[in-house]
Amino acid sequence: MTAAAIAASGLGKDFGAVRALDRLDLEVREAEFFGFLGPNGAGKTTTVHLLATLLAPSRGGARVAGYDVARDGLAVRRRIGLVFQETTLDRDLTVEENLRFAARLWDLPRRVAEPRIDRLLSQFGLDGRRREPVRALSGGLRRALDIARGILHEPRVLFLDEPTAGLDPRARRSLWQLIRALRESTGLTVFLTTHYVEEAEPCDRVAILDGGRLAALGAPADLKGEAGVGSLEEVFLARTGHPFADGGAA
Amino acid sequence: MGARAVYGIVVREWLRFLRQRGRVLSSLARPFVWLIFAGAGFAAVFAGRDAIDYRVYMAPGLLGMVVMFGALLAALSTVTDRDAGVLRMVLVAPIRRSTIAIGKALAATLLGTVQTLAVAAVLLPLVGLRPTWDGALLALAGIVLSSLATGSLGVLLAAGMRSIENFAGVMNFVVFPMLFLSGALYPIGHLGPVLHVLTYLNPLAYGVDLLKHALLAPWTGAGYGGELRVALDVVALVGFAVVGLAGATPLLAREGGVTRAAFRERA
Ligand SMILES: Nc1ncnc2c1ncn2[C@@H]1O[C@H](COP(=O)(O)OP(=O)(O)OP(=O)(O)O)[C@@H](O)[C@H]1O
Ligand SMILES: [Mg+2]
Repeated sequence: MTAAAIAASGLGKDFGAVRALDRLDLEVREAEFFGFLGPNGAGKTTTVHLLATLLAPSRGGARVAGYDVARDGLAVRRRIGLVFQETTLDRDLTVEENLRFAARLWDLPRRVAEPRIDRLLSQFGLDGRRREPVRALSGGLRRALDIARGILHEPRVLFLDEPTAGLDPRARRSLWQLIRALRESTGLTVFLTTHYVEEAEPCDRVAILDGGRLAALGAPADLKGEAGVGSLEEVFLARTGHPFADGGAA
Repeated sequence: MGARAVYGIVVREWLRFLRQRGRVLSSLARPFVWLIFAGAGFAAVFAGRDAIDYRVYMAPGLLGMVVMFGALLAALSTVTDRDAGVLRMVLVAPIRRSTIAIGKALAATLLGTVQTLAVAAVLLPLVGLRPTWDGALLALAGIVLSSLATGSLGVLLAAGMRSIENFAGVMNFVVFPMLFLSGALYPIGHLGPVLHVLTYLNPLAYGVDLLKHALLAPWTGAGYGGELRVALDVVALVGFAVVGLAGATPLLAREGGVTRAAFRERA
Protein backbone atom coordinates (compact mmCIF):
# COMPACT_ATOMS: atom_id res chain seq x y z
CA MET A 1 0.00 0.00 0.00
CA THR A 2 3.02 2.30 -0.12
CA ALA A 3 2.61 2.61 -3.87
CA ALA A 4 3.91 5.86 -5.28
CA ALA A 5 1.28 8.37 -6.38
CA ILE A 6 3.16 8.78 -9.65
CA ALA A 7 5.84 6.48 -11.06
CA ALA A 8 7.23 7.16 -14.52
CA SER A 9 9.88 4.97 -16.08
CA GLY A 10 11.60 5.87 -19.31
CA LEU A 11 8.55 7.95 -20.18
CA GLY A 12 8.95 9.85 -23.43
CA LYS A 13 7.01 11.63 -26.14
CA ASP A 14 7.88 12.78 -29.65
CA PHE A 15 5.81 15.10 -31.80
CA GLY A 16 7.08 14.27 -35.24
CA ALA A 17 10.74 15.24 -35.12
CA VAL A 18 10.39 17.18 -31.86
CA ARG A 19 11.48 15.20 -28.82
CA ALA A 20 9.25 16.88 -26.25
CA LEU A 21 10.15 14.48 -23.45
CA ASP A 22 13.17 12.21 -23.63
CA ARG A 23 13.13 9.44 -21.00
CA LEU A 24 11.73 10.48 -17.67
CA ASP A 25 12.24 8.40 -14.54
CA LEU A 26 10.39 9.87 -11.61
CA GLU A 27 8.58 8.88 -8.44
CA VAL A 28 6.21 11.11 -6.54
CA ARG A 29 5.12 9.90 -3.12
CA GLU A 30 1.61 9.94 -1.83
CA ALA A 31 0.58 13.28 -0.26
CA GLU A 32 3.76 14.85 -1.58
CA PHE A 33 3.80 18.44 -2.82
CA PHE A 34 5.92 18.07 -5.93
CA GLY A 35 7.20 20.95 -8.04
CA PHE A 36 8.00 20.40 -11.72
CA LEU A 37 10.06 23.31 -13.01
CA GLY A 38 11.47 24.11 -16.39
CA PRO A 39 11.76 26.85 -18.98
CA ASN A 40 9.24 27.31 -21.81
CA GLY A 41 9.09 24.27 -24.02
CA ALA A 42 10.91 22.06 -21.50
CA GLY A 43 8.17 19.44 -21.72
CA LYS A 44 6.23 20.11 -18.51
CA THR A 45 2.79 20.18 -20.08
CA THR A 46 3.64 17.18 -22.23
CA THR A 47 4.57 15.25 -19.08
CA VAL A 48 1.35 16.23 -17.34
CA HIS A 49 -0.72 15.22 -20.37
CA LEU A 50 1.08 11.87 -20.57
CA LEU A 51 0.43 11.20 -16.89
CA ALA A 52 -3.21 12.24 -17.30
CA THR A 53 -3.67 9.78 -20.24
CA LEU A 54 -4.42 12.57 -22.71
CA LEU A 55 -1.38 11.68 -24.78
CA ALA A 56 -0.05 8.22 -25.58
CA PRO A 57 3.64 7.76 -24.66
CA SER A 58 6.11 7.28 -27.52
CA ARG A 59 8.24 5.15 -25.17
CA GLY A 60 8.31 4.03 -21.57
CA GLY A 61 5.32 4.12 -19.28
CA ALA A 62 3.90 5.38 -16.04
CA ARG A 63 1.59 4.44 -13.20
CA VAL A 64 -0.58 7.06 -11.57
CA ALA A 65 -2.54 6.36 -8.38
CA GLY A 66 -1.57 2.72 -8.83
CA TYR A 67 -2.81 2.28 -12.41
CA ASP A 68 -1.01 2.06 -15.72
CA VAL A 69 -1.64 5.12 -17.89
CA ALA A 70 -1.63 3.12 -21.12
CA ARG A 71 -3.75 0.16 -20.02
CA ASP A 72 -6.05 1.61 -17.36
CA GLY A 73 -6.76 5.11 -18.60
CA LEU A 74 -10.24 5.18 -17.11
CA ALA A 75 -9.03 4.10 -13.67
CA VAL A 76 -6.29 6.74 -13.75
CA ARG A 77 -8.66 9.47 -14.86
CA ARG A 78 -11.09 8.56 -12.10
CA ARG A 79 -8.42 9.31 -9.48
CA ILE A 80 -6.77 12.43 -10.82
CA GLY A 81 -7.70 16.08 -11.14
CA LEU A 82 -6.10 18.27 -13.78
CA VAL A 83 -6.08 22.03 -13.97
CA PHE A 84 -4.88 22.86 -17.47
CA GLN A 85 -2.42 25.59 -18.31
CA GLU A 86 -5.16 27.49 -20.12
CA THR A 87 -8.62 27.69 -18.65
CA THR A 88 -10.99 25.05 -20.00
CA LEU A 89 -14.20 26.47 -18.60
CA ASP A 90 -17.24 26.98 -20.79
CA ARG A 91 -17.43 30.76 -20.89
CA ASP A 92 -21.09 30.78 -21.92
CA LEU A 93 -22.23 28.77 -18.91
CA THR A 94 -22.55 30.14 -15.41
CA VAL A 95 -20.21 29.27 -12.58
CA GLU A 96 -22.52 26.65 -11.12
CA GLU A 97 -23.45 25.23 -14.54
CA ASN A 98 -19.76 24.60 -15.21
CA LEU A 99 -19.46 22.72 -11.94
CA ARG A 100 -22.63 20.70 -12.58
CA PHE A 101 -21.35 19.79 -16.03
CA ALA A 102 -18.17 18.46 -14.44
CA ALA A 103 -20.11 16.64 -11.71
CA ARG A 104 -22.07 14.74 -14.39
CA LEU A 105 -18.95 13.91 -16.38
CA TRP A 106 -17.42 12.49 -13.19
CA ASP A 107 -20.63 10.58 -12.49
CA LEU A 108 -21.42 12.27 -9.18
CA PRO A 109 -25.08 11.92 -8.22
CA ARG A 110 -26.89 15.17 -7.53
CA ARG A 111 -27.16 14.58 -3.79
CA VAL A 112 -23.36 14.24 -3.59
CA ALA A 113 -22.54 16.99 -6.05
CA GLU A 114 -24.77 19.81 -4.83
CA PRO A 115 -23.41 20.06 -1.25
CA ARG A 116 -19.86 19.80 -2.58
CA ILE A 117 -20.51 22.56 -5.10
CA ASP A 118 -21.93 24.78 -2.34
CA ARG A 119 -18.92 24.13 -0.15
CA LEU A 120 -16.35 24.72 -2.90
CA LEU A 121 -18.02 27.92 -4.05
CA SER A 122 -17.90 29.44 -0.60
CA GLN A 123 -14.38 28.13 0.02
CA PHE A 124 -13.18 29.70 -3.25
CA GLY A 125 -14.97 33.00 -2.80
CA LEU A 126 -17.36 32.37 -5.67
CA ASP A 127 -20.56 32.14 -3.68
CA GLY A 128 -22.01 35.45 -4.78
CA ARG A 129 -21.11 34.82 -8.43
CA ARG A 130 -22.60 31.38 -8.94
CA ARG A 131 -25.27 32.51 -11.42
CA GLU A 132 -22.93 34.68 -13.48
CA PRO A 133 -21.50 33.50 -16.78
CA VAL A 134 -17.83 32.62 -16.60
CA ARG A 135 -17.00 35.29 -19.19
CA ALA A 136 -17.92 37.90 -16.56
CA LEU A 137 -15.32 36.64 -14.05
CA SER A 138 -11.84 38.07 -13.52
CA GLY A 139 -8.83 35.94 -14.41
CA GLY A 140 -8.23 35.14 -10.75
CA LEU A 141 -11.77 33.94 -10.13
CA ARG A 142 -11.72 31.88 -13.33
CA ARG A 143 -8.59 30.18 -12.14
CA ALA A 144 -10.17 29.56 -8.74
CA LEU A 145 -13.14 28.02 -10.53
CA ASP A 146 -10.82 25.88 -12.68
CA ILE A 147 -9.27 24.53 -9.50
CA ALA A 148 -12.60 24.05 -7.76
CA ARG A 149 -13.72 22.02 -10.75
CA GLY A 150 -10.47 20.07 -10.68
CA ILE A 151 -11.09 18.86 -7.12
CA LEU A 152 -14.88 18.47 -7.25
CA HIS A 153 -14.58 14.70 -7.59
CA GLU A 154 -12.03 14.52 -4.73
CA PRO A 155 -9.06 13.23 -6.72
CA ARG A 156 -6.09 11.60 -5.03
CA VAL A 157 -3.58 13.25 -7.31
CA LEU A 158 -3.99 16.83 -8.48
CA PHE A 159 -2.02 18.18 -11.44
CA LEU A 160 -1.71 21.94 -11.57
CA ASP A 161 -0.19 23.16 -14.84
CA GLU A 162 1.03 26.71 -14.22
CA PRO A 163 -2.01 27.59 -12.15
CA THR A 164 -0.91 31.12 -11.36
CA ALA A 165 0.22 32.26 -14.81
CA GLY A 166 -1.30 35.64 -15.57
CA LEU A 167 -2.63 36.25 -12.07
CA ASP A 168 -1.97 39.34 -9.98
CA PRO A 169 -0.07 38.94 -6.69
CA ARG A 170 -3.17 39.01 -4.52
CA ALA A 171 -4.98 36.36 -6.60
CA ARG A 172 -1.81 34.29 -6.58
CA ARG A 173 -1.47 34.44 -2.84
CA SER A 174 -5.06 33.43 -2.21
CA LEU A 175 -4.69 30.52 -4.64
CA TRP A 176 -1.69 29.27 -2.71
CA GLN A 177 -3.60 29.56 0.54
CA LEU A 178 -6.41 27.51 -0.98
CA ILE A 179 -4.04 24.84 -2.20
CA ARG A 180 -2.25 24.65 1.15
CA ALA A 181 -5.55 24.30 3.01
CA LEU A 182 -6.61 21.61 0.58
CA ARG A 183 -3.43 19.63 1.06
CA GLU A 184 -3.66 19.87 4.83
CA SER A 185 -7.27 18.77 4.95
CA THR A 186 -7.18 15.95 2.39
CA GLY A 187 -3.62 14.62 2.10
CA LEU A 188 -3.85 15.22 -1.63
CA THR A 189 -0.79 14.63 -3.79
CA VAL A 190 -0.08 17.81 -5.74
CA PHE A 191 2.02 17.86 -8.91
CA LEU A 192 2.70 21.49 -9.74
CA THR A 193 4.35 22.81 -12.87
CA THR A 194 5.50 26.39 -12.93
CA HIS A 195 8.18 28.68 -14.20
CA TYR A 196 7.69 31.07 -11.31
CA VAL A 197 10.45 29.28 -9.50
CA GLU A 198 9.87 30.96 -6.14
CA GLU A 199 6.42 29.36 -6.01
CA ALA A 200 8.08 25.98 -5.73
CA GLU A 201 10.02 26.88 -2.54
CA PRO A 202 7.36 25.30 -0.27
CA CYS A 203 7.37 22.05 -2.29
CA ASP A 204 8.58 18.87 -0.59
CA ARG A 205 10.69 18.09 -3.65
CA VAL A 206 11.20 19.65 -7.04
CA ALA A 207 12.38 18.37 -10.39
CA ILE A 208 13.90 20.66 -12.98
CA LEU A 209 13.27 19.73 -16.58
CA ASP A 210 15.21 21.17 -19.47
CA GLY A 211 14.85 20.26 -23.12
CA GLY A 212 12.84 17.15 -22.25
CA ARG A 213 15.47 15.86 -19.79
CA LEU A 214 15.64 15.86 -16.02
CA ALA A 215 18.30 18.38 -14.97
CA ALA A 216 17.85 18.18 -11.19
CA LEU A 217 15.73 16.42 -8.59
CA GLY A 218 15.56 16.84 -4.84
CA ALA A 219 14.27 18.82 -1.88
CA PRO A 220 14.65 22.59 -2.43
CA ALA A 221 16.99 22.86 0.57
CA ASP A 222 19.24 20.06 -0.73
CA LEU A 223 19.39 21.49 -4.25
CA LYS A 224 20.33 24.90 -2.88
CA GLY A 225 22.95 23.34 -0.62
CA GLU A 226 24.51 21.31 -3.43
CA ALA A 227 24.72 24.31 -5.69
CA GLY A 228 25.83 26.58 -2.88
CA VAL A 229 23.20 29.17 -3.69
CA GLY A 230 20.48 30.86 -1.68
CA SER A 231 17.41 30.47 -3.82
CA LEU A 232 15.72 27.92 -5.99
CA GLU A 233 15.77 30.45 -8.76
CA GLU A 234 19.56 30.39 -8.80
CA VAL A 235 19.50 26.61 -8.91
CA PHE A 236 17.10 26.84 -11.82
CA LEU A 237 19.29 29.29 -13.72
CA ALA A 238 22.38 27.20 -13.10
CA ARG A 239 20.76 23.95 -14.23
CA THR A 240 18.86 25.06 -17.32
CA GLY A 241 20.09 26.43 -20.63
CA HIS A 242 18.88 29.89 -21.46
CA PRO A 243 18.28 31.17 -24.96
CA PHE A 244 19.95 34.55 -24.38
CA ALA A 245 23.25 33.05 -23.26
CA ASP A 246 25.85 31.55 -25.60
CA GLY A 247 25.98 27.85 -25.17
CA GLY A 248 23.08 26.56 -23.08
CA ALA A 249 23.74 25.29 -19.58
CA ALA A 250 26.04 27.52 -17.55
CA MET B 1 -22.03 3.22 -19.75
CA GLY B 2 -21.74 6.82 -18.75
CA ALA B 3 -25.42 7.75 -18.83
CA ARG B 4 -24.87 10.65 -16.47
CA ALA B 5 -21.99 11.95 -18.61
CA VAL B 6 -24.14 11.75 -21.74
CA TYR B 7 -26.88 13.62 -19.89
CA GLY B 8 -24.36 16.26 -18.80
CA ILE B 9 -23.13 16.78 -22.35
CA VAL B 10 -26.70 17.10 -23.65
CA VAL B 11 -27.70 19.57 -20.91
CA ARG B 12 -24.67 21.71 -21.64
CA GLU B 13 -25.46 21.92 -25.37
CA TRP B 14 -29.06 22.73 -24.58
CA LEU B 15 -28.10 25.59 -22.24
CA ARG B 16 -25.68 26.99 -24.80
CA PHE B 17 -28.35 26.79 -27.49
CA LEU B 18 -30.88 28.68 -25.36
CA ARG B 19 -28.35 31.47 -24.84
CA GLN B 20 -27.64 31.95 -28.52
CA ARG B 21 -30.67 33.99 -29.50
CA GLY B 22 -29.35 34.72 -32.96
CA ARG B 23 -28.84 31.05 -33.72
CA VAL B 24 -32.32 30.15 -32.52
CA LEU B 25 -34.01 32.91 -34.48
CA SER B 26 -32.15 32.31 -37.72
CA SER B 27 -32.75 28.58 -37.57
CA LEU B 28 -36.47 29.18 -37.08
CA ALA B 29 -36.72 31.88 -39.75
CA ARG B 30 -34.60 30.20 -42.45
CA PRO B 31 -37.24 27.76 -43.80
CA PHE B 32 -39.81 30.53 -44.10
CA VAL B 33 -37.40 32.66 -46.08
CA TRP B 34 -36.93 29.70 -48.42
CA LEU B 35 -40.67 29.13 -48.54
CA ILE B 36 -41.29 32.71 -49.62
CA PHE B 37 -38.45 33.23 -52.08
CA ALA B 38 -37.59 29.79 -53.42
CA GLY B 39 -41.23 28.77 -53.13
CA ALA B 40 -42.41 31.68 -55.27
CA GLY B 41 -39.74 31.18 -57.90
CA PHE B 42 -39.86 27.39 -58.24
CA ALA B 43 -43.64 27.23 -58.08
CA ALA B 44 -43.80 28.84 -61.52
CA VAL B 45 -41.52 26.32 -63.22
CA PHE B 46 -42.35 23.28 -61.08
CA ALA B 47 -43.31 20.37 -63.33
CA GLY B 48 -45.95 19.00 -60.98
CA ARG B 49 -47.96 22.14 -60.35
CA ASP B 50 -51.18 20.59 -61.64
CA ALA B 51 -50.92 17.74 -59.16
CA ILE B 52 -49.53 19.47 -56.06
CA ASP B 53 -48.94 23.03 -54.88
CA TYR B 54 -45.17 23.54 -54.87
CA ARG B 55 -45.26 24.97 -51.33
CA VAL B 56 -46.86 21.77 -50.10
CA TYR B 57 -44.30 19.71 -52.00
CA MET B 58 -41.51 21.75 -50.41
CA ALA B 59 -42.69 21.33 -46.81
CA PRO B 60 -40.94 18.01 -46.02
CA GLY B 61 -37.76 19.28 -47.63
CA LEU B 62 -37.87 22.46 -45.58
CA LEU B 63 -38.25 20.38 -42.42
CA GLY B 64 -35.27 18.31 -43.57
CA MET B 65 -33.35 21.53 -44.01
CA VAL B 66 -34.11 22.59 -40.43
CA VAL B 67 -32.97 19.16 -39.24
CA MET B 68 -29.73 19.50 -41.13
CA PHE B 69 -28.86 23.02 -40.01
CA GLY B 70 -30.01 22.32 -36.46
CA ALA B 71 -28.21 19.04 -35.95
CA LEU B 72 -25.13 19.76 -38.04
CA LEU B 73 -24.44 23.14 -36.44
CA ALA B 74 -24.94 21.65 -32.99
CA ALA B 75 -22.46 18.89 -33.78
CA LEU B 76 -19.96 21.35 -35.20
CA SER B 77 -19.71 22.95 -31.74
CA THR B 78 -17.16 20.19 -31.14
CA VAL B 79 -14.73 22.32 -33.15
CA THR B 80 -15.23 25.35 -30.90
CA ASP B 81 -14.91 23.05 -27.90
CA ARG B 82 -11.51 22.01 -29.14
CA ASP B 83 -10.45 25.63 -29.61
CA ALA B 84 -11.81 26.77 -26.25
CA GLY B 85 -10.20 23.87 -24.38
CA VAL B 86 -13.49 22.42 -23.15
CA LEU B 87 -12.85 19.26 -25.14
CA ARG B 88 -9.65 18.58 -23.18
CA MET B 89 -11.51 18.91 -19.94
CA VAL B 90 -14.06 16.39 -21.20
CA LEU B 91 -11.25 14.08 -22.32
CA VAL B 92 -9.73 14.03 -18.85
CA ALA B 93 -13.04 12.87 -17.33
CA PRO B 94 -13.28 9.16 -16.57
CA ILE B 95 -15.47 8.34 -19.55
CA ARG B 96 -14.87 6.56 -22.83
CA ARG B 97 -14.30 8.48 -26.04
CA SER B 98 -17.40 6.81 -27.47
CA THR B 99 -19.46 8.28 -24.62
CA ILE B 100 -18.38 11.74 -25.69
CA ALA B 101 -19.33 11.06 -29.31
CA ILE B 102 -22.71 9.67 -28.24
CA GLY B 103 -23.37 12.63 -25.96
CA LYS B 104 -22.57 15.09 -28.72
CA ALA B 105 -24.70 13.23 -31.25
CA LEU B 106 -27.67 12.98 -28.89
CA ALA B 107 -27.38 16.68 -28.09
CA ALA B 108 -27.45 17.39 -31.83
CA THR B 109 -30.46 15.08 -32.16
CA LEU B 110 -32.30 16.96 -29.44
CA LEU B 111 -31.53 20.38 -30.91
CA GLY B 112 -32.37 19.30 -34.46
CA THR B 113 -35.64 17.72 -33.35
CA VAL B 114 -36.80 20.59 -31.17
CA GLN B 115 -36.10 23.21 -33.83
CA THR B 116 -37.79 21.16 -36.53
CA LEU B 117 -40.90 20.52 -34.44
CA ALA B 118 -41.15 24.25 -33.71
CA VAL B 119 -40.94 25.04 -37.42
CA ALA B 120 -43.37 22.24 -38.33
CA ALA B 121 -45.97 23.63 -35.93
CA VAL B 122 -46.14 26.80 -38.02
CA LEU B 123 -45.13 25.59 -41.47
CA LEU B 124 -47.58 22.72 -41.91
CA PRO B 125 -50.74 24.74 -41.11
CA LEU B 126 -49.35 27.59 -43.23
CA VAL B 127 -49.14 25.46 -46.39
CA GLY B 128 -52.33 23.62 -45.47
CA LEU B 129 -50.82 20.21 -44.77
CA ARG B 130 -52.76 18.24 -42.20
CA PRO B 131 -51.01 14.93 -41.56
CA THR B 132 -52.87 11.90 -40.24
CA TRP B 133 -51.93 10.55 -36.82
CA ASP B 134 -49.88 7.82 -38.47
CA GLY B 135 -48.27 10.36 -40.72
CA ALA B 136 -47.44 12.63 -37.80
CA LEU B 137 -45.82 9.75 -35.89
CA LEU B 138 -43.82 8.70 -38.91
CA ALA B 139 -42.76 12.31 -39.43
CA LEU B 140 -41.59 12.52 -35.82
CA ALA B 141 -39.57 9.34 -36.27
CA GLY B 142 -38.15 10.76 -39.48
CA ILE B 143 -37.14 14.01 -37.78
CA VAL B 144 -35.48 12.23 -34.85
CA LEU B 145 -33.66 9.71 -37.06
CA SER B 146 -32.42 12.28 -39.55
CA SER B 147 -31.27 14.53 -36.70
CA LEU B 148 -29.38 11.58 -35.27
CA ALA B 149 -27.81 10.70 -38.62
CA THR B 150 -26.77 14.26 -39.56
CA GLY B 151 -25.72 14.95 -35.96
CA SER B 152 -23.49 11.86 -35.84
CA LEU B 153 -21.92 12.65 -39.19
CA GLY B 154 -21.51 16.23 -37.98
CA VAL B 155 -19.57 15.01 -34.95
CA LEU B 156 -17.34 12.99 -37.29
CA LEU B 157 -16.80 16.03 -39.50
CA ALA B 158 -16.09 18.27 -36.50
CA ALA B 159 -13.75 15.74 -34.89
CA GLY B 160 -11.74 15.66 -38.12
CA MET B 161 -11.63 19.43 -38.57
CA ARG B 162 -8.64 21.49 -37.51
CA SER B 163 -10.42 24.74 -36.91
CA ILE B 164 -13.65 26.54 -37.44
CA GLU B 165 -12.03 28.33 -40.39
CA ASN B 166 -13.02 25.34 -42.51
CA PHE B 167 -16.57 26.31 -41.81
CA ALA B 168 -17.22 28.03 -45.16
CA GLY B 169 -15.87 24.91 -46.85
CA VAL B 170 -18.33 22.81 -44.91
CA MET B 171 -21.21 24.99 -46.01
CA ASN B 172 -20.17 24.91 -49.69
CA PHE B 173 -19.11 21.31 -50.01
CA VAL B 174 -21.34 19.59 -47.48
CA VAL B 175 -24.46 21.55 -46.59
CA PHE B 176 -25.51 22.84 -50.01
CA PRO B 177 -24.86 19.64 -51.96
CA MET B 178 -26.69 17.70 -49.25
CA LEU B 179 -29.61 20.04 -49.57
CA PHE B 180 -29.83 20.04 -53.38
CA LEU B 181 -29.31 16.29 -53.66
CA SER B 182 -31.89 15.45 -51.03
CA GLY B 183 -35.13 15.75 -52.92
CA ALA B 184 -36.00 18.73 -50.75
CA LEU B 185 -36.57 21.02 -53.71
CA TYR B 186 -37.39 18.64 -56.60
CA PRO B 187 -37.94 14.89 -56.95
CA ILE B 188 -34.68 12.95 -57.03
CA GLY B 189 -35.87 11.00 -60.07
CA HIS B 190 -35.41 14.13 -62.17
CA LEU B 191 -31.65 14.20 -61.56
CA GLY B 192 -29.16 12.81 -64.08
CA PRO B 193 -27.63 9.37 -63.39
CA VAL B 194 -24.41 10.64 -61.76
CA LEU B 195 -26.15 12.95 -59.35
CA HIS B 196 -28.79 10.33 -58.74
CA VAL B 197 -26.13 7.91 -57.51
CA LEU B 198 -24.77 10.61 -55.20
CA THR B 199 -28.15 10.95 -53.54
CA TYR B 200 -27.73 7.43 -52.19
CA LEU B 201 -24.74 8.68 -50.17
CA ASN B 202 -26.70 11.58 -48.78
CA PRO B 203 -28.25 11.02 -45.34
CA LEU B 204 -30.59 13.94 -45.82
CA ALA B 205 -32.09 12.26 -48.90
CA TYR B 206 -33.33 9.37 -46.74
CA GLY B 207 -34.60 11.77 -44.09
CA VAL B 208 -36.51 13.87 -46.60
CA ASP B 209 -37.85 10.72 -48.26
CA LEU B 210 -39.15 9.51 -44.92
CA LEU B 211 -40.81 12.86 -44.33
CA LYS B 212 -42.43 12.66 -47.75
CA HIS B 213 -43.83 9.23 -46.88
CA ALA B 214 -45.19 10.79 -43.72
CA LEU B 215 -46.58 14.03 -45.09
CA LEU B 216 -47.13 13.62 -48.83
CA ALA B 217 -48.73 10.17 -48.90
CA PRO B 218 -51.82 11.42 -50.83
CA TRP B 219 -49.55 12.50 -53.71
CA THR B 220 -47.58 9.26 -53.97
CA GLY B 221 -49.55 8.21 -56.99
CA ALA B 222 -48.67 11.45 -58.78
CA GLY B 223 -44.96 10.80 -58.08
CA TYR B 224 -44.45 13.37 -55.32
CA GLY B 225 -44.50 11.16 -52.24
CA GLY B 226 -41.65 9.05 -50.88
CA GLU B 227 -39.59 7.36 -53.58
CA LEU B 228 -37.73 4.74 -51.51
CA ARG B 229 -39.02 2.15 -49.11
CA VAL B 230 -39.64 3.34 -45.54
CA ALA B 231 -37.55 0.45 -44.19
CA LEU B 232 -34.63 1.42 -46.43
CA ASP B 233 -34.82 5.01 -45.19
CA VAL B 234 -34.77 3.88 -41.58
CA VAL B 235 -31.91 1.42 -42.06
CA ALA B 236 -29.85 3.95 -44.00
CA LEU B 237 -30.31 6.68 -41.36
CA VAL B 238 -29.34 4.34 -38.54
CA GLY B 239 -26.38 3.17 -40.62
CA PHE B 240 -25.14 6.73 -41.13
CA ALA B 241 -25.45 7.36 -37.38
CA VAL B 242 -23.37 4.27 -36.58
CA VAL B 243 -20.72 5.16 -39.14
CA GLY B 244 -20.53 8.73 -37.83
CA LEU B 245 -20.14 7.66 -34.21
CA ALA B 246 -17.64 4.91 -34.94
CA GLY B 247 -15.54 7.27 -37.06
CA ALA B 248 -15.67 10.17 -34.64
CA THR B 249 -14.67 8.23 -31.53
CA PRO B 250 -10.94 7.80 -32.25
CA LEU B 251 -10.65 11.25 -33.84
CA LEU B 252 -11.98 13.07 -30.80
CA ALA B 253 -8.97 12.35 -28.61
CA ARG B 254 -6.36 13.14 -31.25
CA GLU B 255 -3.48 15.25 -29.89
CA GLY B 256 -5.05 15.23 -26.47
CA GLY B 257 -7.85 17.45 -27.69
CA VAL B 258 -5.55 20.30 -28.63
CA THR B 259 -5.34 21.65 -32.13
CA ARG B 260 -1.95 22.24 -33.62
CA ALA B 261 -3.11 25.76 -34.41
CA ALA B 262 -4.08 26.45 -30.82
CA PHE B 263 -0.78 24.98 -29.75
CA ARG B 264 1.26 27.21 -32.06
CA GLU B 265 -0.41 30.36 -30.81
CA ARG B 266 0.61 29.45 -27.32
CA ALA B 267 4.21 28.56 -28.04
N1 LIG C 1 0.86 18.99 -29.97
C1 LIG C 1 2.15 19.28 -30.25
N2 LIG C 1 2.60 19.22 -31.52
C2 LIG C 1 3.88 19.51 -31.80
N3 LIG C 1 4.82 19.86 -30.90
C3 LIG C 1 4.43 19.94 -29.61
C4 LIG C 1 3.08 19.67 -29.22
N4 LIG C 1 3.00 19.82 -27.88
C5 LIG C 1 4.23 20.18 -27.46
N5 LIG C 1 5.11 20.25 -28.49
C6 LIG C 1 6.56 20.59 -28.38
O1 LIG C 1 7.06 19.87 -27.30
C7 LIG C 1 7.96 20.66 -26.51
C8 LIG C 1 7.48 20.68 -25.08
O2 LIG C 1 6.26 21.41 -24.97
P1 LIG C 1 5.47 21.58 -23.62
O3 LIG C 1 4.21 22.28 -23.94
O4 LIG C 1 5.39 20.27 -22.94
O5 LIG C 1 6.44 22.53 -22.80
P2 LIG C 1 6.20 23.27 -21.42
O6 LIG C 1 7.35 22.94 -20.56
O7 LIG C 1 4.86 22.99 -20.89
O8 LIG C 1 6.30 24.80 -21.87
P3 LIG C 1 5.55 26.10 -21.30
O9 LIG C 1 6.29 26.53 -20.11
O10 LIG C 1 5.67 27.07 -22.42
O11 LIG C 1 4.15 25.72 -21.03
C9 LIG C 1 8.00 22.00 -27.17
O12 LIG C 1 9.17 22.05 -27.96
C10 LIG C 1 6.81 22.05 -28.05
O13 LIG C 1 7.13 22.79 -29.21
MG1 LIG D 1 3.23 24.11 -20.43
